[in-house]
Order: sequence, then C-alpha cells, then structure tokens
Amino acid sequence: MAPPPSSRPSPEAGRTRAPLALAGQTSLRDRLVARDQRALVELIEVASPWLLGLTQSMLRDQDEAEEVVLEVFRIAWDRVGSLGGEHEGLMPWLLRIARNRAIDRLRRRGRWRRKAERAEALGGLGPATAQFQEPDESATPGWHVHEAVHAALQSLPDEQREVVRLAYFGGFTHSEIAKELGIPMGTVKTRLRLAFDKLRVTLASIQDWVG
Amino acid sequence: MTPHDWYIENRAAYVARALQPREERLFADHLVRCEECTREVATLQRDLGPLPMAVAPAAPRPGLSHQLAEGVLRRRTRWPQAASAIAAAAAILLAVGLGVRERRALSAAELAVSDRDRQLAALRDTLSIMRQAQHIVQRDIAIGGRKGGLVIFDDPVSHRWSVVLHGLPRAPADSVYQFWFITENGMVRSVELRFDDGRPAFATVGMPNAPGAVMGAAVTVEAAANRTAEPSGPMLAHIQF
Repeated sequence: MAPPPSSRPSPEAGRTRAPLALAGQTSLRDRLVARDQRALVELIEVASPWLLGLTQSMLRDQDEAEEVVLEVFRIAWDRVGSLGGEHEGLMPWLLRIARNRAIDRLRRRGRWRRKAERAEALGGLGPATAQFQEPDESATPGWHVHEAVHAALQSLPDEQREVVRLAYFGGFTHSEIAKELGIPMGTVKTRLRLAFDKLRVTLASIQDWVG
Repeated sequence: MTPHDWYIENRAAYVARALQPREERLFADHLVRCEECTREVATLQRDLGPLPMAVAPAAPRPGLSHQLAEGVLRRRTRWPQAASAIAAAAAILLAVGLGVRERRALSAAELAVSDRDRQLAALRDTLSIMRQAQHIVQRDIAIGGRKGGLVIFDDPVSHRWSVVLHGLPRAPADSVYQFWFITENGMVRSVELRFDDGRPAFATVGMPNAPGAVMGAAVTVEAAANRTAEPSGPMLAHIQF
C-alpha cells in the first residue's frame, strides 16, 4: 500500500472544509426530510461513488454491490427523518448502513469464501477485502475526506491495519482473522482495539461533507 | 473479570462486526440494558464514521444514478407479507372499532358525540399509517405458553409508527407491557401497551424527542410503578434495524 503522495493536502484539510452545499441555503438533510426528490437525486450523485466503492470492494460483485446501494438509498429516503441531528453525519450514516448490509450478505453466502480462495490461488489480492489502493478519482466530491482517512490508516502499524482491513472491511470475525493470520484471538482483539483507539482520535474531528 | 468486562473488551469488535453471530446477538441484547455500553458504542461508531471512505470511490456505470432514483421513488411495497399484514391488522382494528361502537351504543346517552368522533378519527389515523407504511416489522413473542407477536408499521411520511402487540396474555398483576425506542444514546421509554379483554394492544407513536437516531425498538414487562429511564424487567422483543 503506497503512502499518500506528499503533494496532497494534509489530513487536516478534511476537517476544515464546509459541508457540501448542494442547493441554496437549506441543508441536504433538511430537504430530504421535506421529501424533496431533487435532494434525493443530488444525494445519489454525490454518495454513490463512495457507496459503490465500499460495497464493490467488500462483495466483489458489481450487481450485488448495486443492490446494496439501492437498499441504502431506500433506507435513507425512508428514515432520514429519524437520523439524529448532531450525532451522526449523513454520509457516515449511509456508509454504516452499506457496510452492515454488505457484511450481512457476505455472511449469508458461502461463495465469497470460494471467490477469495480462488483470488488468492491466482495470486490476486487475497481475501475479499478492501485494499485502500490509491484511486484516480481525485475529482470526486469527498476526496479530501478519503485522503484524511487514508492517511490515518497508513499511520497504523502494519499488523493493526491488517486486522482492521479484515474485520472492518472484510466482514471476518475474530476467530476467522486469528485463523487467517495464525495468531491468538486475544491478539486480534487487542490489535483491533488499539487500532480503533488511534483512528477515532484522528477521524472524530472530520466534518461530514454532505450537508 | 466481571461479566461486564467481556462487553467492554468487545465494544470495538461489535462496531467492527467481528463478533460471531451468537456473540453479536448477545451484545445487542446487552446494549438494551446497558446505558454505558450503548453510549460508548454509539460514540465509537460516530468517531469512526468516515472510516469506510478509506476505500476508493467507484464510478457508477452510465444510467445507474437514474436507476437508483427510480428504484427509490417508483417502488411499490417490497414486502410480500405487507398486504396480508395490513389486511390482518385492519381487520383487527375494525373488530376493535366495531366493539367500541357496540359498547357505545349500549350507553350512547352517556357518551358525547365528540368522544365517538375522536375514537373514529383515531382509528382512521391508525389505518392511514398502516396503509402508508413502507416498512413492517414483525417479531414473534412467546410468554406463559401463549404465542403472540409485535408488529410495527412505519409511516415514513408522518414519521410515526403504529405498534400492535397481539396474542399475549394480560400482563402480570402490577405489571405492564412497556414499549421502548432503542436510540444510539440508549433506551427511550415510550408507551405502555395494555390489553383489553384479550384484544390486541394498539398504539401510535411519534419518534422520540430525545437526541440520537432511532436504531430499533423493544418491549419489556415492567412493574407498573417502575417509571425509570431504563428497562429492568424481562425482555420480550428486541428489534434492531
């Protein structure tokens, strides 16, 4: 995994930008609550690349990834009114739903394991988990957040980052990770906890960029 | 090491979804009762909120955005059981309504017209929620050898739920069936669900005023005198969305 190029803005940049202003003065969330269909279209435009990136990397199946993204937007449209005002941003909420749905699907199917094993046998990327590769989508809205998060992950020790990759992005359980890495389950738990303790300090102050 | 230490130790794993399914259910059940863990988990989830954006974005294929918008806005109800559930609930409601009307006929002289109108308006309102519901959640409940269930109709337009508890015996003496919201900041007490002559208990509830997103709902049996902020009685149903 290549470190972020030094020419890029620092992770601090992600914390100081204003939420994306998509239409006039009213926040996107307020417009969604008001059942503004144009707001939904705008949300889809701005959030889809990130939701698709996440779900495709987890599921390794484009059709299934698109199904999950549709589910996420349906839930968002139905339930945005119950989203706690200052407690969770709109984009983190969507991403959390998408990740949970993707993990549910991973656990329902057996073939993901076969796919992962086949990819590994072919010298591919290994288990069906995100690799945090450097993409070429720097014009995508939200890119500054990606940079900040990417940098935060890169700052973790390799062994902690690997556990986060398998657990958070791969849907692996403790015991599966322990088996995969050949380490005790207690070590997996400790690494995950330490990694989250570090990440939360860095990530907590990143503003939601979708109003 | 106390039993609670296990939950403290596994908060990160719960947020990561790294627990075994059985452990995950155990943890979710614990959250219903533990304000501290609920708060810590919600805070960790919030702090790590941007983490999924570590993954690179993927350009949607041409036409996908349009399909997604169509898929959200033009859908019909996606739950095959929704129609039958609505029909069943409506039938129950009508039966209750007719019962109310019959009782009222017997003592019509004592009742003001406005009371009857209010009753009927409430019935109409409840039915409208059921008709507009886009999510219907059902959970079976078994208690004292009786099998019943909890049905929640979610109306996304008015942001209200119609809650139906059916098939259960009356709550034990000095106890009530208590409905709770599960929010990211903990449990929020909602309405008591009272059975009348074995008929289903109905309630229409708005979203709680307390801060924090609603993550689910629960029904417990509580001592009638217990008005504490947290449930302390047996858990009958625990639903996480």
